[in-house]
Amino acid sequence: MKLLAVLTIVTPHVNYVAILPELILIGGALLLLVSGQLVFAKIPTAFYSIGSGAIAAAALVASLVIWHDVQARGPFTTIADSVAVDGFAIVFLVLVSCILILASAIANDFLVREGIDGPEYHVLALLAGSGAMLMAAANDLILIFVALEIMSIPLYILAGMDSRRRESGEAAIKYFVLGAFSSAIFVYGIALVYGATGSTNLPQIASYLNTNIITSNGVLLAGLGLLLVGFGFKVSAVPFHMWTPDVYQGAPTPATGFMTALAKAGGFAALLRVFFSTFGVLRTDWQPLLWAIAIVTLLLGAILGLVQRDVKRMLAYSSINHAGFILVGLAAATSQGISGSVYYVFVYAILVLGSFAVITLVGGKGDENHDLDAYRGLGRRQPVLAFAFALLLLGQTGIPLTTGFLAKLYVITAAVRAHSYALAVIAMLSAAIAAAFYLRLVFLMYGVKLPVGSGGDEGALSLPVTGEPDDGLDPTGSVPTGVNIGRVVVPVPTAVAIFVTVAVTVVFGIWPGPLVDFVHAAHFLF
Amino acid sequence: MGSLDSYLPIFFMVVLGIAFASLSFGASKLLAPQRPTSAKEAPYECGIVPTHEPARRFPVRFYLVAMIFVVVDIEVIFLFPWAVDSQSLGRFGLVEILVFAASVFVPFIYLVANGALDWGPIKRVRPVESQPDRTSSSTVRHVGPPNDQAA
Amino acid sequence: MLRVAFLIPLLPLAGFVILLLSGRKLGNPLAGWLATIMVAASFVVTVVVFAGLFRLPAGGRSYTQNWFTWISAGHLHVNMGLLVDPLSMTMAAFVTGVSALIHLYSIGYMEHDEDFPKFFLYLNLFVAAMLLLVLANNFLLLFLGWEGVGVCSYFLIGFWFERDTASSAAKKAMIFNRIGDAAFLVALFLIYERTGSLDYHTVFSHLGSVGEPSLVAMGVLLFAGAVGKSAQIPLYPWLADAMEGPTPVSALIHAATMVTAGVYLMCRINPILYRAPDAAHVIAIIGAVTALLGATIACAQNDIKKILAYSTISQLGYMFLAAGIGAYDAAIFLMLTHAFYKALLFLGAGSVIHAMNDDQDVKTMGALARLMPITAVTFFIGWLSIGGLPVFSGFWSKGDVLLNGYGFSPALWVVGALTAVLTAYYLGRAYLLVFRGQQRWVEARKPGDRAGLKPHDPSWVMSVPLIVLGALSAVGGLINLPIHPDLDFLDRWLSPVFASRLFQHHWGLGGVWTFALIDAALALLGVALAVALWGHASERPAFEPVVLQRAWYIDWAYDRFIARPSTEVAIETSSVVEAKGIDGAVNGFAWLVRSTARHLRKVQTGYVRNYALGLAGGLVLVLAYVLTRAS
Repeated sequence: MKLLAVLTIVTPHVNYVAILPELILIGGALLLLVSGQLVFAKIPTAFYSIGSGAIAAAALVASLVIWHDVQARGPFTTIADSVAVDGFAIVFLVLVSCILILASAIANDFLVREGIDGPEYHVLALLAGSGAMLMAAANDLILIFVALEIMSIPLYILAGMDSRRRESGEAAIKYFVLGAFSSAIFVYGIALVYGATGSTNLPQIASYLNTNIITSNGVLLAGLGLLLVGFGFKVSAVPFHMWTPDVYQGAPTPATGFMTALAKAGGFAALLRVFFSTFGVLRTDWQPLLWAIAIVTLLLGAILGLVQRDVKRMLAYSSINHAGFILVGLAAATSQGISGSVYYVFVYAILVLGSFAVITLVGGKGDENHDLDAYRGLGRRQPVLAFAFALLLLGQTGIPLTTGFLAKLYVITAAVRAHSYALAVIAMLSAAIAAAFYLRLVFLMYGVKLPVGSGGDEGALSLPVTGEPDDGLDPTGSVPTGVNIGRVVVPVPTAVAIFVTVAVTVVFGIWPGPLVDFVHAAHFLF
Repeated sequence: MGSLDSYLPIFFMVVLGIAFASLSFGASKLLAPQRPTSAKEAPYECGIVPTHEPARRFPVRFYLVAMIFVVVDIEVIFLFPWAVDSQSLGRFGLVEILVFAASVFVPFIYLVANGALDWGPIKRVRPVESQPDRTSSSTVRHVGPPNDQAA
Repeated sequence: MLRVAFLIPLLPLAGFVILLLSGRKLGNPLAGWLATIMVAASFVVTVVVFAGLFRLPAGGRSYTQNWFTWISAGHLHVNMGLLVDPLSMTMAAFVTGVSALIHLYSIGYMEHDEDFPKFFLYLNLFVAAMLLLVLANNFLLLFLGWEGVGVCSYFLIGFWFERDTASSAAKKAMIFNRIGDAAFLVALFLIYERTGSLDYHTVFSHLGSVGEPSLVAMGVLLFAGAVGKSAQIPLYPWLADAMEGPTPVSALIHAATMVTAGVYLMCRINPILYRAPDAAHVIAIIGAVTALLGATIACAQNDIKKILAYSTISQLGYMFLAAGIGAYDAAIFLMLTHAFYKALLFLGAGSVIHAMNDDQDVKTMGALARLMPITAVTFFIGWLSIGGLPVFSGFWSKGDVLLNGYGFSPALWVVGALTAVLTAYYLGRAYLLVFRGQQRWVEARKPGDRAGLKPHDPSWVMSVPLIVLGALSAVGGLINLPIHPDLDFLDRWLSPVFASRLFQHHWGLGGVWTFALIDAALALLGVALAVALWGHASERPAFEPVVLQRAWYIDWAYDRFIARPSTEVAIETSSVVEAKGIDGAVNGFAWLVRSTARHLRKVQTGYVRNYALGLAGGLVLVLAYVLTRAS
């Protein structure tokens, strides 16, 4: 009793406005969850979708209000310094809100098509979104971990939402098991960092590192390494990427797009903040590590993307390649590099949402029509859809006059300025390799004759009973059975979402000013 | 005082826990009457000797209820320290614990509404879709001479 | 009133967008009328803005209208903005005015064409781009318009792309223009590098700190761009081939407006040329030589449009001559009057071609004056005007150039005077062959080909522009009469823009009158020559030497010594270097990547345990690295 009696508890001041977007998302998700349960009639999916979109829009407005606040009064922290409200966080708040709005439109049509009722999909998406926001705003390693889990757990479930496809469940289990593994590593990293510095608060760690010379930094560096592994898993950096293709392929397609956009946004937000802002002092220690990871990530993503027949799998490797590009910006370890990375994340999130929206539509009822051959001649059958997809793919390739080009330009420029020429050259080389598979898809859609038969996928999702690696289900490269080349149904909400992503890609590609300025506002608090 | 002193209560808790568990098991071992017969030891008391170990199938509902229990349990675990210090935590603590309780309660409504606690036959959420190719003549197998059907 | 300036380029652009979206639905002739009305409305707005500008005091006649920041990257800030000043408004007024008339004419001329709406779509886009070019307040926006008119020119030259000659002429125009554009781009880089901006005002106010070699380089490079666009030596041959386009296109783009963009550019950069006299000399000399060269070639051509094309090249040379010696107002004056009479001549030629069932050979025409009086009279006015007969507009504008030329260097004057004589002569030849003499078209060519041909004047939509342009050609000189200091309206109007003139000469009224008399004599000499030689004859081989018919063999030389060898090199490169070397390397690399992928993919087994192993392996590697850094 004596122990308890001496403690006086200091309650932290909570600035509720500063965490309003997160609160809106969580509260909105809970409301959405029960709103349908209190009436007996079956509620149409559109109600939940509109609700989800409206909640996300409210979060967007709240983010902009905070943005205005920060513009006027400067960045600040709240809740005992554990949440940072700075330009960097707000850029991601805005991005996540936009992702949620677009994703709810895309998901709506998917849920209707597949006959999946109920609010669960949207509720999980909103909760994951709140986690991603918190990751961007978190100023404390513990909060980062909590946010990471808030983001990840709904994503695991989203991966398994399509209970009628066995692959979906398989993807969820794989994602969950490996995700839990990586989370454990991450927590261990936090513990080691705490042990070495005596704090989990990022500014306190930074000031400790700035004012003290650590004679024996093994524990600290090990902790940093473990944190890197945890983040690396979330953003699918090689060699922590292996879940990516399987989960991307297995998850319901709109969930794949959402997951990619969100996990990249949240994961990179925290990664950039922790490594650049907090452990910036140690950059000579972690830079070579990131340099190596960036290189293998760039190359492996590009190379393995080439031999995929499944579009979702192909884009999974493409997302690994993109993660490599974003790491290039961080590896430069300059503020220019960080700006480049943030811009890249922003642009890529929009691009990938649009791309997976198109894939969702082409996938057709059952969400299984994902072979490359499903895109053969799409340009002739549905020119508008094919054109939109082609633009998104060109954006991912990094063709000038798209945002994708500027994104690649910024990170590579940063690498060159930081004198890591080898990294810049490899990044460009990987972009050239990756261009091969993006353009192959574009050529396929427009009926340019090209040899596609490069062997099948790894077939990882077919649970090989022999235990042998399944190297090519279809070595002849002929059209696999079951490829449905019918007319793709394009519902209005998804069409609008795709249009928005294409418009963002092209408009800000031609007229980059506003978006670049916005992203340049992503300053860290300290 | 050494720094380990602060771990003393925890040590006592561990000792107490072990003592309580062993006491309970020991007491039941001592106090309960022990008259085993071979029939009593068999898994099924109907008398039929099982040829192999029966598959143990728990309804998924069991896990669901267990999970719901854990969630509510966690809530209680959080409520305890708050209750102990509710005075010094003041209004801040009250607000936070109410928010926490509400965010546990809302999903609970969802669970109840979705029948997570309805123990018994599952009510049909979705009506069986009518399949036109399923008719009484195609699904019911008539047993007996075909003449019956003709008559 | 100045605020509505943004409508000037926007109206034709709106017309373009409407036609793009629903041109086919509007069809023939509604699409044409829409396009015409848009350009006419733009003309009205221009007049309103013009009047607004006019009411300002002479020193303050400059108004910049910024729409938005177009590009903001690093130190480079480029606005979408318009500059309204006397020069740009003069250009805009004649561009919209002449365009409106030619649009109207095209409604009749393109009447039977299947792609009627598409034609007007391109025309409207062209006008919008041209207006952007002249109204831009910075070099980059000017370049956007510059490329815009270039691409429209390409589309319109190749409008009848199913004809091989038309599509290859379009390509030729594009390629020649690209050579100039490359120089233009380098000039832009240089300007930005030296002055840190592309905005006219900023650039011109920073010129003081730029070294003369750089300024000369800027001037020459920009002039190289102008050489491509305005068909000067050495990049002129495309303009003669560009006559493959429909005749209204030749009139609008390849005579009145687009090709004069180069002259406009030279006038616009007068502060640069002021500080780089060497560049100005180059311009003047090339202009003079081109003027003479074009005129000589025009003397021996038989295709009526080719005569006019070489005449245009020659007249553009005149304008560059004027711009090069700093007589910018003379250049603009000549540009204006040239736009009137050359558009008139082209439209007249179009009318004749229409009447002749698309035949363009002057040798098979003749005696059309009685059958097509309106065309004949207006063409006659055009001839006298371009020939420089007194009172007609060409007399005043050409006289202005010659006057300034003499002041700069008598040698230039001699070249100019010779060209003037030739100009009056070759158009006289064309006029006489087409409208006088025998009806050679009756028995010409295959029998039956023209059996039912009854040449007549075109419908009113085509006649009205002829008459209006005829009137303008006749009296257009009134806007700038040098004979009295109070009558040179244009000079005074433009003087704020051309404050920094390189050379200035003041002639007394006596001098002016003397030169006017000499000019008149020269023009009369040309006319007399034409009448004497071609009044009663249609064949005079001595005066049509092969060397002139083949345009001094310059086109042939380009083909023989540049085009063919480059094609050879290209073929060699594509079959040897590209196929074996580059393709080999690319394919080899692709093979390497693919085989790497085939081995790498085996790691992706699908088993969670293997994936977890991969994760753990990565962890071990990271920690191993960390150990090497630990102290």
